Amino acid sequence: MFLGRVAGTVWSTVKWPETRGLKLLLVRPYRLGDLAPGAAGDAGGEASEPLDDLVVCADLLDAGVGDDVLVAFGHAARVAVGEKLAPGSKPNVPIDAAVVAVVDRVEIERAPRR
Amino acid sequence: MIRGTVVGRVWATRQAHGLDGCKLLVVAERDADGKASGRIVVAVDVLGAGSGEDVTVALGSGARNVLRPGPDNRDLLCDAAVAAIVEGAG
Repeated sequence: MFLGRVAGTVWSTVKWPETRGLKLLLVRPYRLGDLAPGAAGDAGGEASEPLDDLVVCADLLDAGVGDDVLVAFGHAARVAVGEKLAPGSKPNVPIDAAVVAVVDRVEIERAPRR
Repeated sequence: MIRGTVVGRVWATRQAHGLDGCKLLVVAERDADGKASGRIVVAVDVLGAGSGEDVTVALGSGARNVLRPGPDNRDLLCDAAVAAIVEGAG
């Protein structure tokens, strides 16, 4: 799983039928320096390239732009989607990333320096 | 798997039920030289790893086996788990 901030939304009308009703979000992953200034990966206040590494995620928790979220990949993402769309079963949907938590707090204690 | 250092924890109340009761750690990946690469992953921890400890993290479907050995674990919501607490690496 990775931590990221919701940067936007994606919508479409032509899509796999089983994915109807799933909201899609654009999430920008955090690097260590985004959470711990001065740590490895800190861009020194410069905005890192926001379009470099955006991930499109299915949203199960009604997250909004600006929220910090936890995203699961692969099979785990489909398990999470299954909770929402068809409880008790794993839908065969073309989803490989899903928001699985809206983060309240991230506590960084010992961030290694570069 | 990746090698990294535990640097913190994540708390969430709005989460998928599959994550209920899971301890979630922020792990900073280390590169071949042992330096932090800047990349972080969030991993489920059942081994009791603490901040500052070096760990290995299993990613993908293999991570589920840390929580419950397969094959009957495909219902688990887990794509990253602490697989070992590292004592040394050469």
